[in-house]
Amino acid sequence: MSAYVYGVGTSHFGRQPGVGGPALAQQAVLEALRDAEVDSVDAVYAGTVFGAPGTAQRALQSVGITGVPVLTFENACATSSTGFHEARHAVLSGRYERVLVLGIETMTAHFNGPITPEETDAEGRAGLALPGVYAMVASRYDHLHGLRPEALAAVAVKNRRHGSLNDRAQHGVEVTAEEVLASRMVADPLTLLQCCDISDAATAAVVGVDRGRTRDVRIAASALRSGGLWDHRSDQPWGYELMGQVAADAWAEAGIGPEDVDLFEVHDAFTIGEITATEALGLAEPGGGQDLVLSGHTTLGGRQPVNPSGGLLSRGHPLGATGLAQVAEGVWHVRGEAGARQVEGARVAAVETMGGGTAGIDGNGCVVVVLGG
Amino acid sequence: MSPTVQPPPADPRTRATSDGTAVTITGWRCTACHYPMTQQVTACMECRGEVEETTFATEGEVWASTCLRVRVPGHQPPFAVAYVVLDGGPRVLVHTGGDQPLAPGTRARVVAVSETGDLVAEPDGPVSAQEVAS
Ligand SMILES: [Zn+2]
Repeated sequence: MSAYVYGVGTSHFGRQPGVGGPALAQQAVLEALRDAEVDSVDAVYAGTVFGAPGTAQRALQSVGITGVPVLTFENACATSSTGFHEARHAVLSGRYERVLVLGIETMTAHFNGPITPEETDAEGRAGLALPGVYAMVASRYDHLHGLRPEALAAVAVKNRRHGSLNDRAQHGVEVTAEEVLASRMVADPLTLLQCCDISDAATAAVVGVDRGRTRDVRIAASALRSGGLWDHRSDQPWGYELMGQVAADAWAEAGIGPEDVDLFEVHDAFTIGEITATEALGLAEPGGGQDLVLSGHTTLGGRQPVNPSGGLLSRGHPLGATGLAQVAEGVWHVRGEAGARQVEGARVAAVETMGGGTAGIDGNGCVVVVLGG
Repeated sequence: MSPTVQPPPADPRTRATSDGTAVTITGWRCTACHYPMTQQVTACMECRGEVEETTFATEGEVWASTCLRVRVPGHQPPFAVAYVVLDGGPRVLVHTGGDQPLAPGTRARVVAVSETGDLVAEPDGPVSAQEVAS
């Protein structure tokens, strides 16, 4: 038995101050319901990281979804991926026949610039903002494997080129490696064009039981964990071991490996994140993620494109909405509906979302989803 | 919302004091498994055993480092930071002077607590050119 994605939808991604969660959610939910060809759901699994209490219910009344159970999840960047993971289990367990999953984030309502670190967190209080967290990943990776700036730049060049084919993306402008490396240094060695932007957006998906339609996309696997203690005994960069464990869970459940996947959407909040994710997913050996991107293997037209949507680097990163945006991209490719960025003949897509912000553990949560097959 | 002033949240950072010449880093260690902890705990995070207050070494090895060059509330950019694995544990996040991060694998020592309440470390021993990350 499997659960299926009936339909997906997203708002536009970008800094859209004044638009508000309900208006963004209308775009995403109405598209998803139309795509799914359903007009009602049994429950809603929503997600937002920074949204006020009641964000989901406030948005849902704007699309006439009332009177059903509405649950709100928070799992940092992996928030709506977590809602998706749980919705799938609700369907598999027989609790509901179909569940709407919804991600909403209006980040310009909360931040004037980048996300400010959480002061109840030991490292946040010490000033380690998120670019610093990923810069530390790059530093440790460099110590273990040697990190070439051109590999970081290649991730940004590739994903921003992919993003130029995605009309929903926030930053769809192509850049050169020279421009990437010459852009303003944010946290050594990560420059501005290697960092995703904050964004306002909503995303939605309808997940349900097998109804025998070929256009529905099977969820072959979904795995979720939070990180273990990440401390003085740890040798690996932040998040790496967690991503590897969750990926192993997902491959085991799907009964396939990374070599069987046609495209990946992974958590490139910062360029180094894509390099470590591709290694943790098993696409490359430890240290091999650099050659993987430099070789063209992961570009559109390559053997296994990574982030054909343009990734977080192009799409922007509305935290609680990002996971379902990745799922939507996977669904579009498996159905052959991804337009100019379609991965030819795609049958299987994998999605990885990594959420962080808690000092001392290897990640708040990581989700890996396998679609299709 | 009422206009009352909120008390500041409890400071979650590693606890340390300085007498002007030496820094003392304090925390907790498990009496059963010896796991070192910098956050306030009443039981071991690893085995839930009994913990006792302790002091930690001020010297250790740089594990990773960077320099933040963007505005972060409460901190003036650029500021360099590093994870340092103190001898015998734990790993702590420290600030280091200037804007050149200390190279991973080199030795460092916590020498002060900054005005912002952060641990401040310096390279331990004479600095060679290789010890400053490019
Ligand atoms: Zn213990």
